[in-house]
Amino acid sequence: MKKLLAIGLAAMMVAGTLASSAFALEIKTDAEVAAEESGAGGGEKAVGKDAYGEDIRIAFLPNVIGDSCAFAWAAGMQKYLDNFSNVTFDVYDGKASVDTEVQIMDELIEQQYDAIILQATDAAGLAAATDKAEAAGIPVINCNLDAATTHTCLVAAVDVEAGQLMARQIGDSLPDGGKVVIISATPGASKGENIDTGFKGVMEEEYPDIEIIDEQTGEWLTENANTVMNDFLTKYDHIDAVLCHNDAMAEGAAEAVKAAGRLDEMQIWGCDGESKMLDYIEEGLCTGTVYTNADLQGQACAQFAMYAIGSGITAANLESTPIVKIAPIVVTADNVGDITEDMRW
Amino acid sequence: MDESPSPVPVITEVALIMKLRQESMRRLISIILLAVMMLIFSLTNSAFFTVSNLLKVLREASLSGIIAVGVTFVIITAGIDLSTGAIVGFCGMVCANLLYYYNLPWQEIFLISIAVGTACGILNGFIVTKLRVPEFIATLSTQYLYRSMVFVFAIRENNVITNKKIESYPVLILGGSINGFYLVSMAFILFAVIGQILLKSTRFGTYVYATGANRKSAELSGINVDWVRWRVFIITGFLCGIAALFQMGRIGSVTTDMGTGLEFDVIAAVVVGGCAFSGGRGDVFGSVIGAIFMAVLQNGILKYNFPTAVQLIMKGVVIVIMVIFDSIYNQYVQKKIQQAVQNEDAVQIRKGGAEVV
Repeated sequence: MKKLLAIGLAAMMVAGTLASSAFALEIKTDAEVAAEESGAGGGEKAVGKDAYGEDIRIAFLPNVIGDSCAFAWAAGMQKYLDNFSNVTFDVYDGKASVDTEVQIMDELIEQQYDAIILQATDAAGLAAATDKAEAAGIPVINCNLDAATTHTCLVAAVDVEAGQLMARQIGDSLPDGGKVVIISATPGASKGENIDTGFKGVMEEEYPDIEIIDEQTGEWLTENANTVMNDFLTKYDHIDAVLCHNDAMAEGAAEAVKAAGRLDEMQIWGCDGESKMLDYIEEGLCTGTVYTNADLQGQACAQFAMYAIGSGITAANLESTPIVKIAPIVVTADNVGDITEDMRW
Repeated sequence: MDESPSPVPVITEVALIMKLRQESMRRLISIILLAVMMLIFSLTNSAFFTVSNLLKVLREASLSGIIAVGVTFVIITAGIDLSTGAIVGFCGMVCANLLYYYNLPWQEIFLISIAVGTACGILNGFIVTKLRVPEFIATLSTQYLYRSMVFVFAIRENNVITNKKIESYPVLILGGSINGFYLVSMAFILFAVIGQILLKSTRFGTYVYATGANRKSAELSGINVDWVRWRVFIITGFLCGIAALFQMGRIGSVTTDMGTGLEFDVIAAVVVGGCAFSGGRGDVFGSVIGAIFMAVLQNGILKYNFPTAVQLIMKGVVIVIMVIFDSIYNQYVQKKIQQAVQNEDAVQIRKGGAEVV
């Protein structure tokens, strides 16, 4: 007991000493340190680098690397950056974890990349890391999923609008009302929140006779969505439409509905427009998706990164984040043929 | 008459084995491996061996390291705690919730985080010691429980979970540094020192080793084994509460996936540091080396941007090698000790005039 007391007292003394020295020496947050180290006062670059002449390093940090969207974005970025022999392009894996993305962001800042293209797993979670990068003079271009802070640019597929578009498609096809289930993204994920906001907002205002009878998370995964859909099919005798926050989950749901022999009963909607989903629409397994040209979106991100490096733009020069929106296209069996092979990803 | 063996070499060998105890040898190997790895990264990447990068490596080691201090105690008692990552997430989300909805002062937030973590530790210990549920099952179950509590406390807008930025400066400053030396690293060092003293220089530490080495013998020796096991879970929960504060400070927000998978990083650090799952072996110093080892490995992996598959393989291989080494070396040492004891017995018998068969 005496030893424990002694240890406790010693710990308090050490903590006290540390605390007093900390106040004396002044503790600084990461962003404050980064701003000081950049030597340009709050992350503002005095002169932009010659993005088309000097050696440039650009990093792409997607939510997760195994995703078809991330693959298409990276391919688009690579396609654009291949035009410049002075540019090195690296792709990192965020492993669908905020903690991991924050850790990698720190590493990219430490390695002094010239620009970072980030798909933020969580808007609030990546805000501090984005601030830190911008304060260090590294422009951060967000791809699709934004960080909740001002930064160089956001190139986004419009998730809220995508939710609204799907709501109208489903709503118009069910004039007498109906029952809808939702297989949602991982709770808290920005994209899921946005689609939900758009979808539920329109449903509530414009289609009050349509009831959302259930909502469960499929955590972005095909197999989880398949399990959730099986559960819905057992639970409900009649379902008019299934909304999934991404295509992968819509594909999983479609397989479950097909196995239950209830494909004729309901519509199945996804969101992304990946090539497998387009195949599912052509085969009649899914009803529709909101297609985004991910390749083009990736190219736009890379273009912006090069521009930001050259111009020296960082958050310090901006009042709010400039947003480039990639137009969403509703794809159903009627127009899936319009998405030609070169547009598929 | 046969020439009887000289007792000198036998005594020397026993003494040598006693001196080069498995623990020390294992620790030495961990340190050598760490040094070799750092040397390789330093020679092949100019960005590695800089003060700034090394401080960042220490920072990366610190979060899992703080929890590893507690988990070291658990594993030495031959237990396991799979709920640490979920406790960190739970503590963080409770704090984020209270900050967002009630704007509590930072002092209360700090206390609440520590209290929630400690309460989780108390529950873990209760389930393990009073309800007699094996540690693996108990903490796996509570992992789900605490993770679900994260969703219960998650901030919602229009019924949709919405993660919010933390605006409280005293909380954010926990992610900060003094001249590049991060506060979380200071806390790591502080808790590691306290943990090592507690383990090596107190009666409680001796009980922890005794409980892990042979629970039955410890019980028969009058040690309240259940209370010892309960306390190690409380220590771990307490440290998870502390770690949650630093993670909140660093990220500036709390997300529903905060701390996910952290338990595996912690266990990896403890195992690489020389703690045996069978219990009774290892110490906090080893776990500190283990945590730094894993952070250096991760830092090197990021410096070279190895593909994800290679990253996982590298981490997995390192842990497997360490565990295999432990197993083989354990057998070797046991054999040596057995031989030494046999030889010593033989010498004693000869001294007494009996014939050795």
